[in-house]
Amino acid sequence: MLVRFKLNDGIIAEEANPNETLLDFLRNRAKVGSVKKGCDEGACGTCTVLFNGKPVRSCLILAVQASEAEITTVEGLAKRGELSEIQEAFLEKYGFQCGFCTPGMILTTRALLDQNPHPTIEDIKDAFEGNLCRCTGYEQIIESVLRAAEMRTR
Amino acid sequence: MHLEYLEEVRKLLHGKSYTVVGRDVRRVDALEKLTGIAKYAADHVIEEALIVKAVRSPHPHAVVKKIDETGALKIPGVVGVITAEDIPGENEIGYLVEDQPLVTEKARYVGDVVALVVAKDEEAAWEGSDELRVEYQKLPAIFDPKDALSNDLKIHDHGNIAGDVKVRKGDVEEAFSRCDVIVERTYKAGSQDHAYLEPEAALAIPLGPGGVTVIGTTQNPFRTRHTVARVLGRQDSEVTIITPYIGGGFGGKDTYGPVISGMAALAAAVLGKPAMMVYSRYESFAYRFKRGPFEIQYKSGATKDGKLRAIQVDYIVDVGGYATWSIGFMKRAAYHATGVYEVANVKVDGVALYTNNLPNSAFNGFGNPQMLFAAESQMDILAEELNMDPIDFRLRNALVPGSRTGTNQLLDHAVGIKELIEKVVEKADWQGKRVKYLDYKTKTKRRGIGVGCSWHGCGTTGFKQDWAGASIIVNPDGSVTYSTGIVEIGQGTITSHAMMVAEVLGIPFEWVRVIGNNTNTMPDSGETHAQRGTIIGGTAAVDAALKLRKRMNKVASEALNCKEEEIALENGEVYNINNASQRMSFKDLVYEMYMGGSPPAEYGFIKARRGYPDPETGQGDPYAAYTFGCTIAEVEVDLETGHVDVLKLYPGVAAGKIIQPAVVRGQIYGCGILGLGYALTERVVRGEGRMLNPSYIDYLIPTIKDKPEMAELVCVEDEYKYSAFGAKGVGEIAFIATPLAIANAVNNALGIRFYEIPLDPEKIFFAVKGESRNGSGS
Amino acid sequence: MEAEVRPLPKFDYVAPSSLSEALKLLRDYQDGAKVLAGGTDLVIRLKKRLAFADVIVDLNRISELSCIESVGDHLHIGGLTRLAQIKESPIVKDRASALVQAISIMAAPPIRNRGTIGGNLCNSSPAADTAPPLLVLDASVKLLSVDGERVVPLSQFFVGPEENVARADEILTEVMIPLQEGSSAFIKLGRRKAFTLSVVSVAAYAMANSGKFDEVRVALGAVAPTPIRSLKVEEALTGGGVSEKTIQESAELVKMEVNPITDVRASAEYRREMSYVLTKRVLGKVGLGGKNASKIQIE
Repeated sequence: MLVRFKLNDGIIAEEANPNETLLDFLRNRAKVGSVKKGCDEGACGTCTVLFNGKPVRSCLILAVQASEAEITTVEGLAKRGELSEIQEAFLEKYGFQCGFCTPGMILTTRALLDQNPHPTIEDIKDAFEGNLCRCTGYEQIIESVLRAAEMRTR
Repeated sequence: MHLEYLEEVRKLLHGKSYTVVGRDVRRVDALEKLTGIAKYAADHVIEEALIVKAVRSPHPHAVVKKIDETGALKIPGVVGVITAEDIPGENEIGYLVEDQPLVTEKARYVGDVVALVVAKDEEAAWEGSDELRVEYQKLPAIFDPKDALSNDLKIHDHGNIAGDVKVRKGDVEEAFSRCDVIVERTYKAGSQDHAYLEPEAALAIPLGPGGVTVIGTTQNPFRTRHTVARVLGRQDSEVTIITPYIGGGFGGKDTYGPVISGMAALAAAVLGKPAMMVYSRYESFAYRFKRGPFEIQYKSGATKDGKLRAIQVDYIVDVGGYATWSIGFMKRAAYHATGVYEVANVKVDGVALYTNNLPNSAFNGFGNPQMLFAAESQMDILAEELNMDPIDFRLRNALVPGSRTGTNQLLDHAVGIKELIEKVVEKADWQGKRVKYLDYKTKTKRRGIGVGCSWHGCGTTGFKQDWAGASIIVNPDGSVTYSTGIVEIGQGTITSHAMMVAEVLGIPFEWVRVIGNNTNTMPDSGETHAQRGTIIGGTAAVDAALKLRKRMNKVASEALNCKEEEIALENGEVYNINNASQRMSFKDLVYEMYMGGSPPAEYGFIKARRGYPDPETGQGDPYAAYTFGCTIAEVEVDLETGHVDVLKLYPGVAAGKIIQPAVVRGQIYGCGILGLGYALTERVVRGEGRMLNPSYIDYLIPTIKDKPEMAELVCVEDEYKYSAFGAKGVGEIAFIATPLAIANAVNNALGIRFYEIPLDPEKIFFAVKGESRNGSGS
Repeated sequence: MEAEVRPLPKFDYVAPSSLSEALKLLRDYQDGAKVLAGGTDLVIRLKKRLAFADVIVDLNRISELSCIESVGDHLHIGGLTRLAQIKESPIVKDRASALVQAISIMAAPPIRNRGTIGGNLCNSSPAADTAPPLLVLDASVKLLSVDGERVVPLSQFFVGPEENVARADEILTEVMIPLQEGSSAFIKLGRRKAFTLSVVSVAAYAMANSGKFDEVRVALGAVAPTPIRSLKVEEALTGGGVSEKTIQESAELVKMEVNPITDVRASAEYRREMSYVLTKRVLGKVGLGGKNASKIQIE
């Protein structure tokens, strides 16, 4: 089946099998490598994409379901080689270590701040409770999100 | 580590404060990771790569009688089935003991690989492995290491003991006879899964006749290279290991790097095509080697003046089906068994026993979390019996410069533990909280505060000396190409190396580019584990930089017509410290070197400053230097549910010079949460040798909401003379201290001690209720 | 569940744009078809070969299946309404507080952004977190097929683990909650502080007047083959005074009504004990704690 949707700043249109997940489609057909397969069962958050602005588990969505949707991955954030404010904030506050959970964290930040520009730490924890990280202990991720909120409302 | 690198560098820098070391810079991997272009193993895609799937024994102990490939080969898309007979070289991948085949003919754990199915795509690989018919002759299985001791059933031909370790110092019997207080308990420390977010993966590409390149998840590219070469029957130089970004290691990819790379390489070599193996999360949980459970009998004695006089420890390590790294962590535990204290009389006996459980292996802490859980619990019990505050008792016995360890190693400097404890205690308001929590009693909640002290020798444990190489090339335009064999697993070490090189050469940090990750071009720096990346890996970098710098000083002194010792290099400028008008740019200096035939490159190579403990007495210097940790934990226990809520953690480390403060802060916080997981939420549930919860849904690592309040990190910079900038290692120390502190805090809250970690809410609930279950009592 | 995740099996896929089209497909395919709502359960089960389908009927194009509205004396929530939407709805917060509380501590936001209430109920896990709240609110579900519609009280919907009375060709189109004046609350015991399956969950609804429980309902999850109401506790408490003592004494009876199992998550004995603790706590919330519960977190 032909699948066609808005992917970051462009349109993607490719053939997909019904039994292909959006995750596999993005990685294998759209060649978007930032979306990761950490568990393939919705339990870790490394496959996070924004689906019409909302964070979802792309490993639990069929590619054919994404038709007509707007999908955002981390590749869609930096514009013309310049980091977005969220990425700058994660850079400044060391919100990453091994980097494997980072694309998911950055996208979740984006969705949160689009909907709530001044989140409290509790709001941040609510938004990120489904994103696992094994390296950072989450502290510097929270600091990065707060910094990103600051930078975006400057 | 033959030089006092700390002082040597200081002299070169004319005693000035550092320009980049000790500050926060942009990590060299930051941009790639933040923009999503960083490539991990499974991101390396070759269209025509075949997919490799392992076929595994469902039985914990069985001989493979027959493998019938016909059904599998009929599946469209299946290209081949590989068994032990197809191995071109040696079927041996053992880490410290040569007991481990890559593809086995006798299964020794559930999941032992008996064949590889190779197919054009994932679906075919699955169907092929479904159709492969393997006939087994089942054997009785051993799951409890204590059974292995007295059993006729042999898991390996050489018997059920994989190894043992002894430490003997002084005379414990005599010392115990003089003790006023003796405490003896049995402790159990459980397994733990690394659960890093990136599953294991390897892509192998055949190269010419017999050679292969492997891009795989590994923490030890050179050991991986040698293992692959051995399996393929080739020379090391015919195998190339490329290390991509690694999505978390923690020791798991240290042990497992050669295993998965070996399987992918074997498939590629046998079939002559690129072959990719990517573990599912299930495989990663169910079959990758984990932390080894310990059962420890710990006896300690003290005199009423508060001095710890003797310890006697007997412990058993569950090795699993193959030894892998278990001998190493068994030994490390023995060498650290005293805890951070000076004890004159020490008797430690450890034995590592094979079972038919999943093999156990390297994981952050490497035997220390298990052993120090016992040691630090004992310290609290002793303190109570002596009617002393647990902190005062620890301070009374803590190691100081001039102390000798349990293995009789003299620690003449870089022993910051006492100062560290004092500072963490102050930060946590220990005394105030002890009083406050004594009175804190609601109907359903109790609160407590506890301390855990840790230490961790930096460097590889065991037989092999740990060496490290580093390479610096100064390019004609003044930029620097630096290469190390230390792997970036998230810990930021390679950035530290670049900073240290920039500092010694007196150039802006941005001029140094770190390349590496290819065994053909990078120096062998040993494994990325055991907190050695900076103290040993980084010292090789400084070794190279020093040598190069001395040569640069010579060339510069000739150009500027002054003495070599007068040359200063700073921020890309070269000048005479006694006459600043005599100067040139770094770029011009480099030009002079090229033009004058003075080598603009240097290779550093050092070996760790340590020896080999005597096999009968354990006496010796097993590690170059020790990092110390102290964490205080405040907890609240819900009496009605048995749940433990960690309110706050106060972490502290004495790790020598801190090269990147923000990065170290992140590591320590990460370690705190890892420790909380080991203490409370992470349980490897096993039944008949199988892992029953191989999923993030049922193996629970802490989420962001499980993070307690974290106090600002306390750092004592007890510099080590012989390393780069006086740095020691930080990767494991704060993890180890955390569960010790939490366990002691729970005891403080409840007045009930638990002798097993992870702590189990059910056990806590029933213990509180007054019913007796395993592990309760005080 | 120990089953291993594999690549999804092959299946056909249809995304009807009308309800009648969907119903016809289900009638034609019967057991060969599986309905796809949020996918957060079904896709996992298909990967683990715990569910099978020749054809997937994707309901996400049928907009009429998603709604939240108060009509007459009922709150109607469409079967395909996303859990995240339900959680943010002011009407649901006001009229079915326990449901919002349950969703707040259920799974995680990305799962709730896709997961639906109909999906959670039809998946029929004994630990389904939306079930205890809906049970204490006396909810019913509408099941629609080409033959017409039937209304089933939720208390009669669940039959066993992963089993319910809906037929293969029926779609759960709506959850109906009677509008009531009392307070409701939901709590659960997990194994960490977020994103955890319930070890035990309890919901309660109560109408209290002048210090007496006029009406009280209690439901539990993860302690029996299906989510259950605790009639013994309800009976003991109805008409009784609202006090810690009466709550404690009645809650004790729950231990006799639950039938928990021992699994990798917890032992039966512990679950039985925790049924009492949580029942006591949630009754405290609705009886003594006011109309809307305070900070919502996992116990």
